[in-house]
Amino acid sequence: MVIDYSPNELMAVAGARELRDSQVVAVGLGLPVVASFLAKKTHAPNMTILFELGVIDPEPVDCGVGLADPRVWYRAKVLSSFVDILGSVLHRGRVDVGFLGGLESDEYGNLNTTLLGDPKGQFKHMVGSGGANDIASNAKSTIIIMRHEARKLRKTISFITSPGYLHGNDSRKQAGLCGGPSRVITDKAIFGFDPDSKKIVLLSIHPGNTLEDVVNTMDFEPIIPEKIPFTEPPSAEQLQIIREEIDPGKMYLG
Amino acid sequence: MSKLCSMSEAVSSIKPGAHISLPGFAITRCAMAFAHELIRQQIKGLTLSQCVGAMDADLLVGAGLVNKVIYGGGSLDRFGRLANINRGIENGTLAADEYSSLSVAFRYLAGALGLPFIPIRSLMGSDLLNQLKNKESEDIASVDDPFTGKDWLVLKPLIPDVAVMHVQISDDEGNAVILGPKWDNCEQVKASERTIIIAEHIVSTEIIRQNPESTCIPGLFVSHVVEQPFGAYPTSVYREYDYDSDHMKLYVESSCSEEKFAQYLQEYVFTCKDHWQFLDKIGSQILSTLHADSLKGY
Repeated sequence: MVIDYSPNELMAVAGARELRDSQVVAVGLGLPVVASFLAKKTHAPNMTILFELGVIDPEPVDCGVGLADPRVWYRAKVLSSFVDILGSVLHRGRVDVGFLGGLESDEYGNLNTTLLGDPKGQFKHMVGSGGANDIASNAKSTIIIMRHEARKLRKTISFITSPGYLHGNDSRKQAGLCGGPSRVITDKAIFGFDPDSKKIVLLSIHPGNTLEDVVNTMDFEPIIPEKIPFTEPPSAEQLQIIREEIDPGKMYLG
Repeated sequence: MSKLCSMSEAVSSIKPGAHISLPGFAITRCAMAFAHELIRQQIKGLTLSQCVGAMDADLLVGAGLVNKVIYGGGSLDRFGRLANINRGIENGTLAADEYSSLSVAFRYLAGALGLPFIPIRSLMGSDLLNQLKNKESEDIASVDDPFTGKDWLVLKPLIPDVAVMHVQISDDEGNAVILGPKWDNCEQVKASERTIIIAEHIVSTEIIRQNPESTCIPGLFVSHVVEQPFGAYPTSVYREYDYDSDHMKLYVESSCSEEKFAQYLQEYVFTCKDHWQFLDKIGSQILSTLHADSLKGY
């Protein structure tokens, strides 16, 4: 049976599949929220979901406009503070996975959410870090979800807001950081990182796309292994949970 | 001792050039009534700080009252960018020390605890840190851990002149209750020289004494207490009222240019003598639709 699904739904499902039961996950805005709730409602019921401002394990029934919206705090087990969540849980080393949305990434998984353009000349200032830099710096690993476009997957980004593997090899470690990105999930493919060079590696291509579709819409060349599988499509159950329980208003996946 | 006073009295205690830490997070629990009165009184040259930039800071920047922001980035969530702050940074009229949420929270925490500095594992390797280094910031340094010899990035305590807190409940001494997540608010209060409380409801100290474990701001930190229902409108206050999507959209549209924003300020701030007149202009019919559901809290 062929099931219709959108690229956004596949991204959310692919993100959910990366999460394991009993993990502690710090979640950023947008698709990471859908992916995390999906994992918790399916294969990872004992996962702990954290929002930076002080929210643990909410069970929203209405879509919010962002983390500041009381709709996304509904039925939380804890409502506390930055120091409690980003400090005592994240900085203390208790976050297994940081789950971030990205505006721009380079081939080492560094993220830019601060400015577009030339920082010394004409630029457009954006949202900045919030807790993203803290999560990218302190989580044991991070998963990045973002759009697959050449202007977003760039050879060089104008500002490193949240560190990935910096300039590759051991430069992240040299800067004093552990962890680092494990996956980049786009609407065309899933990537990992080479254990030595820390460059981005193509892991799977979403059904309906070719290798050319993937590489021609990037501003850098990923490492391409000989065999590249297709990404497993969403199951009927996963789609039903997304559409009926997590995002019926299509706020995240519209 | 009662510290109850009018908004105008509380605001007039702020000196030009003061460093104010603001309570908002994006579109929630922003000190809007306080910001409007600051604009009417034209108290300028301000430095503003908060972990995540919010509508209260953006409004004050748009009104030309602010020289500098110290923050961890921010937005109006799905409604849009902090357009006034971004424009100020882009055209160089606004100085901005930009961190991450936790690094600003840690700077307040160090201030709250009276520590000389605080080590942190964020910012390293990022352009947030490079940018601070490039402008020779005196708020960052590195030290050797005396126990392990490891090199640490350390941050200077952040000690605002005054914290302004929008809360649901307070008594007249400023023993205050914040319902819902508190983000950086408790550290802001404890780091600041003093605090001004804007409360949706003033209750008797007897009520506070009956649930003292709910008090998150002790009155000893507080200099002024103002009662202002709907004081965070058009942003939301958990268990009180929702944000007003229509007014948020109007604000975002207005903040896209300096000219439009001047019109917004004229219409909603300068022509209102106080927050009650502003609320009258919005209309009780609209306000009544925003009341929070007592089970859901929004």
